[in-house]
Amino acid sequence: MMLGFSDSWVFAGFAFTIVSALFCVVYGILNWRKGGMEKEGDYREEIQWEREEIELIEKLP
Amino acid sequence: MFYLITFTLIYLTITVYFSYLGYRRTVTVSDYLLAGRQVHPVTMGLSYGATYISTSAIIGFGGVSALYGFGLTWLSFLNIMIGVWVAFVIFGKRTRKMGKALDAHTFPELLGRRYESRFIQGFSGLVIVIFMPVYTAAVLIGISRFIEVYLSIPFSTAFLAFLLITACFVIWGGLKGVLYTSAFQGIIMVVSMVAIGISTYYSLGGISQAHRSLEAITPMVPHYLQEAGHRGFASMPQAFSSIWWYVITTMIMGVGIGVIGQPQLNVRFMTLKSDRELNRSVPFAAIFILCTTGVAYAVGALTNVYFYNTYTELPLHAVQGNLDKIIPLYIDRFYPQWFVALFLVCLMSAAMSAGSSQFHALGTSLSRDIFEQALLKGKSVAETTIVTRIGIVLSIFATLIIGLVLPESIVAVATAFFFSLCGATFIPVYLFGLYWKRGTKPAAKASILSGFFVSLIWMLLFHEEEARALGLCRKIFNMESLAGHPWNMIDPQIIALPISFIVFIVVSLVTRPVREETVTKAFIHI
Repeated sequence: MMLGFSDSWVFAGFAFTIVSALFCVVYGILNWRKGGMEKEGDYREEIQWEREEIELIEKLP
Repeated sequence: MFYLITFTLIYLTITVYFSYLGYRRTVTVSDYLLAGRQVHPVTMGLSYGATYISTSAIIGFGGVSALYGFGLTWLSFLNIMIGVWVAFVIFGKRTRKMGKALDAHTFPELLGRRYESRFIQGFSGLVIVIFMPVYTAAVLIGISRFIEVYLSIPFSTAFLAFLLITACFVIWGGLKGVLYTSAFQGIIMVVSMVAIGISTYYSLGGISQAHRSLEAITPMVPHYLQEAGHRGFASMPQAFSSIWWYVITTMIMGVGIGVIGQPQLNVRFMTLKSDRELNRSVPFAAIFILCTTGVAYAVGALTNVYFYNTYTELPLHAVQGNLDKIIPLYIDRFYPQWFVALFLVCLMSAAMSAGSSQFHALGTSLSRDIFEQALLKGKSVAETTIVTRIGIVLSIFATLIIGLVLPESIVAVATAFFFSLCGATFIPVYLFGLYWKRGTKPAAKASILSGFFVSLIWMLLFHEEEARALGLCRKIFNMESLAGHPWNMIDPQIIALPISFIVFIVVSLVTRPVREETVTKAFIHI
């Protein structure tokens, strides 16, 4: 009996659910500072993207 | 009633405020440089989770879990591992970079620009516009079943009323502040679901004791379910039995894998500024999923112990077979009235956050993908706004009709249908678009078409559940399904997804690649 389950497949699913959430937390912590600087302050492309996004949103009800 | 009105008013006031705040923050481009658009990882994580997890997970899959038991815990594992980690890290990072490089604003547009094909953009948009209302209807049925049980009013009245509320919310600015409102709604969902999870386990004597009690009522499983492979609520179904194929391929894999092809979720990655925000959002989204779906599926199964101990009958019988009523009935019977009202607000949050994102995806697909790109060949005209509005109103009507004609116990089934269809249609083109430069335009077209049509044919003629409901197979061939066991129980995605993968690879190898400039541009930041 593992956590009250006698079926090891169900226990595995239950355990994997919790372990996968913990894995995501650890992943987030380990990569907390990674991926911040990419384009050395060149935001022209992003501004263009943002401008179009606003236009698109404006067309919605 | 006092609690219900008070909680609802507080909830709606805060939602409208956040909606306004979100809208104001996206008004000017210069806001962007002043970090006005910077999304906090908690906001992103909660918002993504609230869009992904709707009433269909809580009510629909909670009810399915009450019928099939703890086997559904594998779905919560996939919800976290594939729905969060794989979606964010494997797909999200490249989606963001490629989306910005190609100036793509919708999921179909990303695919269309990556493969230089207006057809792909238009067809993908069409799939979303036609089939999204099925999923939206499922989400709204989820909350309407709860209102039906809680206020003892007819289902059709509850459905109509809630659809009207959601429609007003969407039309009066709901779509413009989707990110912030859904993060707020996410907080309500987490708090309510954690409270339900803790109180359920606590009152059943703790985690192990609750599971043991569930095992103890295995002999109560109806005979016809045992014959189909049900081995108790704390056990997986008998391997390769009818129930096993259904639970594994439709309920667990259909939604668990199909999430990757969900347009309203993929588009979220493009709004982020850097990979760092994505990395930081991963833990919050994962915890959110654990607290909502993890709790919903566990509590769903444990309702069997509650109902059996109190009424000596299973919840399946208490709701006359309508699985969508099990969670509503459990909350209504076993919790104080103030909590029931709070739970209704939780469901409102779940329905509105998913619903507004669905209408957002639907509206942008209609205006940008179908109208401007596929029909007007890339021209942007003022009429787009009117077309979008008419389109959204029509889709609200479509949702209404679908919601009223769908049968009982349908929430999880309709959700799995949409996830499975999107998965088989979009996953190969999406994955290869992000990772394989050699993928070609004809391959992308062939893959999308084969994934979509194989899914559809499998549903109409082979997969017994849909084939029986739609009746086409019976009319033409005078039988429920063209295939016998186990094929009649295998989900369409399990058949169509490998086919669309193979088609993509084979056609890519024998056709001309996408122009060098487009590929270079798409992969410029990768």
